Amino acid sequence: MAAGTPAHAAFLLASWLTSPLMIVVVLSVVIGLGMIVLFGYTSDQKAIGIAKDQLKAHLLAVRLYRDQLHVVMGSYGKVLGGTGRYLKLAFKPLLYVIIPITVMIVWLDRSLGLTAIQTNTPFLLTARVNTPQALDGVTIDLPPEITASAPPVHISADNEVVWRLVASQEGAYEVKIGAAGQSAAKTVRVSSQLAQLSPERWRDHFWQRMFSSGESALPENSAVESIAVDYPERNIPLGIAGYEMNWIWLFFILSMIAGFIFKELLGIEV
Amino acid sequence: MSKLGWSKGVRRASVLLLIAVVMFPAAAHAYAGPGAGFAVLSSFWAIFVAFLYSFYALATWPVRQLFRFFRRRNAYGKAVFSRAVILGFDGMDPELAERFMNEGRLPNLARLRAKGTFNKLRTTFPAISPVAWSSFMTGVNPGKHNIYDFLACDRSHYLPFLSSAEIKGPTRQIKIGKYSIPFGKTEIKNMRKGTPFWHWLGKAGIFSSVIRVPVTFPPEKFQGVLLSGMCVPDLKGSQGTFCLCTTRAAGDKFREGGVRAPIERRNGAFHAYVPGPDNPLAETAGHEMRVNYEIKPDVAAQTARLTVGSEKFTLKVGEYSEWIPIEFKAGLGFNAHGICRFYLKEVSPEVEVYVTPVNIDPGHPDLPISHPVTYSVYLAKLYGAFATLGLAEDTWALNEHVLDDDAFLAQAYGNHEDREKMLFDALDKTRQGLCTCVFDTTDRIQHMFWRYLEEDHPAAREVPQSERREVIQDLYQRMDKLIGRVMEKIDDDTLLMVISDHGFKSFARCMNLNAWLHQNGYLTLKDGKTESGDWFEDVDWSKTRAYTMGLNGLYLNLKGREKQGTVDPSDADALKEEIKQKLNGLVDPASGAVGITGVFITGNVYRGPYAENAPDILVGYGAGYRASWDSVMGKVTEKIFEDNIKAWSGDHCIDPRLVPGVLFSSHKFTEEKPAIVDVAPTILKLFGLALPSHFDGKPWNLAPQAVGAKTPAVSPAT
Repeated sequence: MAAGTPAHAAFLLASWLTSPLMIVVVLSVVIGLGMIVLFGYTSDQKAIGIAKDQLKAHLLAVRLYRDQLHVVMGSYGKVLGGTGRYLKLAFKPLLYVIIPITVMIVWLDRSLGLTAIQTNTPFLLTARVNTPQALDGVTIDLPPEITASAPPVHISADNEVVWRLVASQEGAYEVKIGAAGQSAAKTVRVSSQLAQLSPERWRDHFWQRMFSSGESALPENSAVESIAVDYPERNIPLGIAGYEMNWIWLFFILSMIAGFIFKELLGIEV
Repeated sequence: MSKLGWSKGVRRASVLLLIAVVMFPAAAHAYAGPGAGFAVLSSFWAIFVAFLYSFYALATWPVRQLFRFFRRRNAYGKAVFSRAVILGFDGMDPELAERFMNEGRLPNLARLRAKGTFNKLRTTFPAISPVAWSSFMTGVNPGKHNIYDFLACDRSHYLPFLSSAEIKGPTRQIKIGKYSIPFGKTEIKNMRKGTPFWHWLGKAGIFSSVIRVPVTFPPEKFQGVLLSGMCVPDLKGSQGTFCLCTTRAAGDKFREGGVRAPIERRNGAFHAYVPGPDNPLAETAGHEMRVNYEIKPDVAAQTARLTVGSEKFTLKVGEYSEWIPIEFKAGLGFNAHGICRFYLKEVSPEVEVYVTPVNIDPGHPDLPISHPVTYSVYLAKLYGAFATLGLAEDTWALNEHVLDDDAFLAQAYGNHEDREKMLFDALDKTRQGLCTCVFDTTDRIQHMFWRYLEEDHPAAREVPQSERREVIQDLYQRMDKLIGRVMEKIDDDTLLMVISDHGFKSFARCMNLNAWLHQNGYLTLKDGKTESGDWFEDVDWSKTRAYTMGLNGLYLNLKGREKQGTVDPSDADALKEEIKQKLNGLVDPASGAVGITGVFITGNVYRGPYAENAPDILVGYGAGYRASWDSVMGKVTEKIFEDNIKAWSGDHCIDPRLVPGVLFSSHKFTEEKPAIVDVAPTILKLFGLALPSHFDGKPWNLAPQAVGAKTPAVSPAT
């Protein structure tokens, strides 16, 4: 594609629109709007308005009557009490938003929080087994596109074996770990694009699997407890003086800004 | 699922979620969206700011206490009481109070009478609230505080202007396109002179909470908090302009105090507007800003759904809304903020909605209505929006039959309850110093319901005796209960005073003083005219020697002072004396009663640097009489006397000797003839302060038993 042609410009635009930065910006605005609207519908808006007003009143009382210690201390106590009431009122909408947003953040974090393995770049794969005895018999079965670049390292204290691997081609590959006569697989993604990544596969650990694994559980009778791929963390370039930022921080800031704007526009008390 | 079951389920789910988040933390899961994020952030912010304020207050407290200790040696060192609480009940009448006390209706006031003081309190000349309360706060006669009536006379144009405050917009403007942007500050000038006594207290380090004392707009700086009262304008700059939105065809104006706005039907709903102030950005004056609203009546349910901006609410017929925020948009981002209440009058066959005057929003004041400015914001945040207009009880709407008795009373007592909350908050916050609050309710309700106290009042002749309610008796009883609650909050080291600025009498007959001046050759109309319009339209000034506007003042058309003066200053005294002789004792031919019981030449009454701004003569009407509505507005009619048939049926703008106020106190004063002008020097003396030499009032003395043992606090009656 020749530089300066419309096709090239369209390609650049499409690349920019699908860049992690733009995805985070759009998601932040959309989620900011959605969460504010949800907050507005699920909260007692009148009570929140009153609670906030009362808080402001007690703060003003501290200033207005600053020479009267009993008022200052009393108002400070009322600010603490009022904050508790306010948080209590914010708790119900929090219950409504926490599940969808947690699921969403976990899901997004698998794409935006980590970078897939790059070709010809070494990475570590760690397998943990259940007993020290099983450690000696651990084997690895690699697809042709992935090779070991160094002998495995056994860490007896943690029942772990660590391999240093290199991928020669982009794709999703299965790496099989054998231990105590059984085999367990783990997907390894090699890509230069955004991809859904699962950094670790677990045997049990329900909550960890919920929050940080995108794969099904390893069999319960498996000697392998977990297999982890050391995907590098992704920092999103902001395009300002070379600054980079983790997506979650960027999302936090942008969605707060979007939420602030939308709450003002929609007249929602938060 | 039942509500109980649902809430149990929610609780269980909440606990599980919390456990999950606490037990398995991860950076990404700590954030639950902007809604919760704001809640958490603003909570921390509130606590942080409160901590900072409190820390500052605590850290600097010893230094300030030390500083205050030395100052208080002069103030509290000689103070008889550590706190003075003054409740002002505007217009509470001593004769009625005594009658109701004797009937056993006012147990708390009766206790104050028994153990402390009950006396008549001499009022000012004239007996008008802004005049009397100005003397109350400054301790001087009107010649030194410059307030003689609600209105003052612009002698160069024979027109009235508000006597208490002058609001001037910026004089310079920048033109941008269709807009004319004012450049500079709006100037609000307090026309009342003299220094309120809480300023003297503040200088001595004594804190004051002052709530709704009349003629405190614009508020002045002092050590304490103050919320302005009577004379605060509405957002239009008037003293209260209500709006009747109606589908009925009628004119657009009422005689006084209100306007009509048409309700139009479009697309199945009714549409009306709230009239606001003139657009300050408009090239020419008179471009009224408006806020449109929608009414969806439900005739079967006798309700209507109103949509005003983002506010949506349903009203039943005969019901008021809460205070609704209104924003008038001038353009270029300039907005005026107000609040008003909507009252649904009717949904069938016509639709009518009454809208109160648009009050200045206390939570977002466009004009200063408190000191510090944040005090009104504080009160609005603490208790919600409240009426800020000086004359907040809409007497004009009742006079014009836009509101009925019940709607007026609901409005008046709604405002009263807000002020009670403010009073009790001030009592709680001001444990040392001065706490004073003036309640207007007593004045407004007596003005409007005196007709039910008399068997044959012209304004109530149509109302059968059986339908007349004991409104005024009920009013006094409510005030008595309030006093009881205040007494529960005070101890023996607190002086409680209950005062009023004047009493009340019937207003059954009107006298048009301009008509009298006309018929007696002092005022001349243009050829062929037998009546004038408002504000002396068709008066021939070249042949006029005297005129009147306002409630009690009479002016000579003096050469060199009035624009078209005819009276030589050397003849003025003789003319005043002549008018006085003729008016004094003037008899109403219809009843044979004396309509005027006193005529006072102000040169003999007032002393001070502003005495020249006073009217030349004050007219003291007899009991049952007052200046007619037309006479007040500078109109000459054919009749001198006529019946007053308006709901405004009681008054006090008469001979001041007939309408003294009340003085109750928790500790006994020995003064036999106390006056309202004495309150300021009395309070300063009780706090041990020296009295300024310009005071006209004289401090009262406490009875020996009150000074020595400080008579035990009077316990409230339940």
